[in-house]
Amino acid sequence: MSENSPDKLAIREVRLGATRAEGGTREVSYVIGGDRGLPFCGNDAGRRLVALEICDDPAIWPPVVRNYVGDLVNNPEDWAQAAERRYGADLVRLNFTSTKKRGFNAFADIASTTERVLEATTRPLIIEGSNDPQVDSEVFRRCGEAGEGERLLLGTAEADRYRSVAAAALAYGHLVIAQSPIDVNLAKQLNILLRETGVPEDRIVIDPYTGALGYGFEYSYSVMERIRLAAIAGDDDLAMPMISAPTDTLSIREVREAAPEEQDAMAVAWEFYTAYSAFVAGASVVCVRHPLTVERLKKVLEA
Amino acid sequence: MAMKALDIYKHLPKTNCKKCGYPTCLAFAMKLATGKADVEACPDLDPGAKALLGGVTRPPVRAVTIGAGERSVTIGEEFVLFRHEKTFYHPPGIMVEVSDTWTEVEVRSVVDEVRETVVHRVGQDLVLNGVAVRNESGSADRFAETVRLAGGGSSLPLVLISDDPTAFEAALAIAGQYRPLIHAATADNWEPLAALAKQYGSPLVVRAGTPADLAAITAKCAEAGVADLLIDPAPGSLQGYITVATEIRRSAIERTEPALGYPIYLDAGALGETDAAVATGILKYAGIIVTPRFSRASREAALTLRQNIYTDPQHPIQVTPGVYPINNPERDAPVLLTVNFSLTYFTIVGYLEASRMPCHLLIVDTEGLSVLTSVAGGKLTETMVADALKKFGVADLVDHRILIIPGYAAPLSGKIEDATGWKVMVGPRDAADLPEYLEKEWKT
Repeated sequence: MSENSPDKLAIREVRLGATRAEGGTREVSYVIGGDRGLPFCGNDAGRRLVALEICDDPAIWPPVVRNYVGDLVNNPEDWAQAAERRYGADLVRLNFTSTKKRGFNAFADIASTTERVLEATTRPLIIEGSNDPQVDSEVFRRCGEAGEGERLLLGTAEADRYRSVAAAALAYGHLVIAQSPIDVNLAKQLNILLRETGVPEDRIVIDPYTGALGYGFEYSYSVMERIRLAAIAGDDDLAMPMISAPTDTLSIREVREAAPEEQDAMAVAWEFYTAYSAFVAGASVVCVRHPLTVERLKKVLEA
Repeated sequence: MAMKALDIYKHLPKTNCKKCGYPTCLAFAMKLATGKADVEACPDLDPGAKALLGGVTRPPVRAVTIGAGERSVTIGEEFVLFRHEKTFYHPPGIMVEVSDTWTEVEVRSVVDEVRETVVHRVGQDLVLNGVAVRNESGSADRFAETVRLAGGGSSLPLVLISDDPTAFEAALAIAGQYRPLIHAATADNWEPLAALAKQYGSPLVVRAGTPADLAAITAKCAEAGVADLLIDPAPGSLQGYITVATEIRRSAIERTEPALGYPIYLDAGALGETDAAVATGILKYAGIIVTPRFSRASREAALTLRQNIYTDPQHPIQVTPGVYPINNPERDAPVLLTVNFSLTYFTIVGYLEASRMPCHLLIVDTEGLSVLTSVAGGKLTETMVADALKKFGVADLVDHRILIIPGYAAPLSGKIEDATGWKVMVGPRDAADLPEYLEKEWKT
């Protein structure tokens, strides 16, 4: 096997966020990727980041997280600040859930929320814009513009709707999350599409889509392993770091229907097992929603 | 390296005598090549050929059984490094630890918990596998007494953990007939332990810090007559475990070091973060995982992860076809069609349950294929839909005659209307869009 070759990086390096010196306002920026072999096997760079997800409209957010974080859910900048300072997340992933409402048109709020969250945080930021082609273009333009120069990681590009995200990333100097439905070949195709659109390869992070534990997680686990193996074998179109967001795990029956006194424990256990397994499969960034999961993942990664 | 069936065939008697249970020598050779048959089954092989073929045809990781009776656990007999290459066959046994310094009540509560924990998921019962008794008292009698409290091995498989041969003697006098796993033979004490393992026919764990040392000790134990071995690489960290376990599994599979062709033992409690260690063992090649007692939430997540990882990728878990009520549907609730691919089913059910929208979910048998694949491959057809509607009596459950089909099945909408007489509505492609679709489009 070629995985022990010392010369070539199997996984390209991608820089998230920009410090003042790099044209942004972050106190730190992160480099992910740079691995030469299998995850946790001595030949990988071991750069693993834990992101806490927050949102601008908590109506569809998991009740167990809403209960745990309390009033923070109504204030994205306080929530983001707590994610970094209190919960210890390496970075925040801001989800614009407000855009899922029918007839959404509060585009000015997208820009101002982006600015406020950037103001409240000191680390790189992931932004999940809309997933409706009708508003994509305007949503991505607004958050892209508001974060110009910050090297935001913008999500999510998919095979049938990637142009708006790519355009915003190109115009304002950001990175793109490329999501494909648990399939190595589709992941590769989308990366090629993005490249042809002009998105540089070191600005793409692969999201192979993460099924919930107990509900298809094994497919995601194996696809991540296969993408990593393909990259090690020299496939340049798959040589990007991966991001995994096991967010469905908090919506499953076992977590939703847990007894009230066990809700947090159940949510954290299921999220932790999924998130940690995603790291073992090769993810560089894993996004979770329960603050206690962040703490536990960080502890394990730092050990 | 493994031999091909035809190369193996050259060494067989070619008499097609059927005494091995296979119709021809070639059929036997093909089974041998995939590690699914044992050379011993052929009575006419000379010892030279037997030794040669035995070395290349037995499973690269030896199958080892721990315990006796219905809760015994068989591990090993694995063939690949990554599950997508074929599948992982034998899920690791998870053994919960007790100490011989504990009170009877403490020991019994763990034993009861192990015996009674059952997680029902998609037609399978997921259980913890046994109890590991740790000799921390320094007393052989105390160790034996705790082994007795833990059931002596008659109901749950046991792991006996000590470094004192006299403690093992006392414990094996009680549990020896139930194949407990003995932990651990080291460079210093392997001789008396191998003798005990041989005497009782018990599997034995070999413990050392490097693959080379492990191989040296397993070779000696095998020579001393202990065939059922496990290896404990004594990792210092999770990363260290993954690195060494990968190396061991690779050596076994590539048959570069036959003395490493045994299941791996992982002490999850020794690595700090128990949940991470248990998950690591499940994901990365452990045959036996010994863990401190863990919470119900962690147990359920761990057992579910183990089920997921050990699902055969070529035979996805399928949902039984039928009509499933979601959120207590009445006679005016919509009927939604989908396939019996478990991932599709669970995704849809997840979104529908979260939406609290009552509906009937009709599952047809597409042999576990997704909507897209089954439509393309002709596994989802209008006749099947018509048959399923009839077979499951859907017309008796609702007052309307409207069927919502998956977005990817849109090409079949006309044919389904013709074949069933039901009005067809084409739903969204993505399950996430179902709640909104139903809210907008569904009126009877």
